[in-house]
Amino acid sequence: MREQSIIRAWEYRQRSTSKGVWHRLRRTLVNAAEAWIIDEEAADMLEARGRIPLLVGYEFDPPKRLFFLAPEDLGTIPRRKQVPVRLHSELLLARSVVFLPHRAVSAAASGGAP
Amino acid sequence: MLPILIEVDFRTRLLQTLRAIAPVLQEPGVMVAGSEVPNLLEPDARSSLVVSQDVDIAVPVDRHAAVKSRLGEMKGLARSEEEPSVWLPREAGLIEVNFIGWDSRSARAGETYVIEDAELPLLVFGHLSLLRPGLMREIENLRIPLPRPAGLMLEKLMTDRSGEKGDRDLLVALALLLVSDENDLMEFEAQYRGVNPDLRYAVRSGLSTLSLLEPRLAMPDPTRHRLLVADLLARLERTESDP
Repeated sequence: MREQSIIRAWEYRQRSTSKGVWHRLRRTLVNAAEAWIIDEEAADMLEARGRIPLLVGYEFDPPKRLFFLAPEDLGTIPRRKQVPVRLHSELLLARSVVFLPHRAVSAAASGGAP
Repeated sequence: MLPILIEVDFRTRLLQTLRAIAPVLQEPGVMVAGSEVPNLLEPDARSSLVVSQDVDIAVPVDRHAAVKSRLGEMKGLARSEEEPSVWLPREAGLIEVNFIGWDSRSARAGETYVIEDAELPLLVFGHLSLLRPGLMREIENLRIPLPRPAGLMLEKLMTDRSGEKGDRDLLVALALLLVSDENDLMEFEAQYRGVNPDLRYAVRSGLSTLSLLEPRLAMPDPTRHRLLVADLLARLERTESDP
């Protein structure tokens, strides 16, 4: 039990450094209702349109380009694959991922504004 | 077996066990703790969650002697030879009873320690100090003391268990969140503010892990309540930036 407390305290101290990257990635995923893997070409296109990838993606090696988009913007990406919002190998191996926020998805599903 | 049959059977066994230990439950301060609490908070104690096959009973450390004197009045259970704080069913239809120490008032409150005793040794879990006595549920003429959801939810989110057991702790926290109202959440937030920074981080980390868990049979489905979890996490984060 003491060992667990020591580990927890260490994790807390690491929260702003590389060990904390997993927490930051999980925290990003918490806000996502949906996750879509996209190809590099689509990620380039999003950046060319001024979409800025999340900083947490650059903390990985190789870096990932992670975007939060509105549902209507997702429709402009021709090749995309939806994956569950969980820490699974397909999502972790993906280089570029688009997330949709919860309320925007709920609003789109009900036909209202986000 | 059909899930509904499992549920009915488990509810019956849980209530029969609580009836068997009713003399102990009458002692002031004693309450059911752990994963069976959300089951008992459901309407009519429906007990739709099958987390474990035992029930935890929190014994206030200052009531240790009084509780010990009531153990002989319990029916259908016998003390485990290997682990005397555990009482095992001697009759069909009962589940295991696990006595744990609860210290919210002494100078050692918040510490994890052991009360050595031949009849009723108790492992006093530090985080259980967050529990606060809650409502007395009356089900089928049985009075069942329960903790308030806020403290237990906080304690479950601080879980330091890993793997399946840790995930189940988090799902119990979700079950408590689902029966919580705004007053419970305000209490949860106030208790959260009162714990040290690394435990607050552990709570937030627990919520983020909970948000990403897969559904499990007979447990609340975390994928259906991800927005609720995200909102609670955002609420806690806001308190971190409060003066």
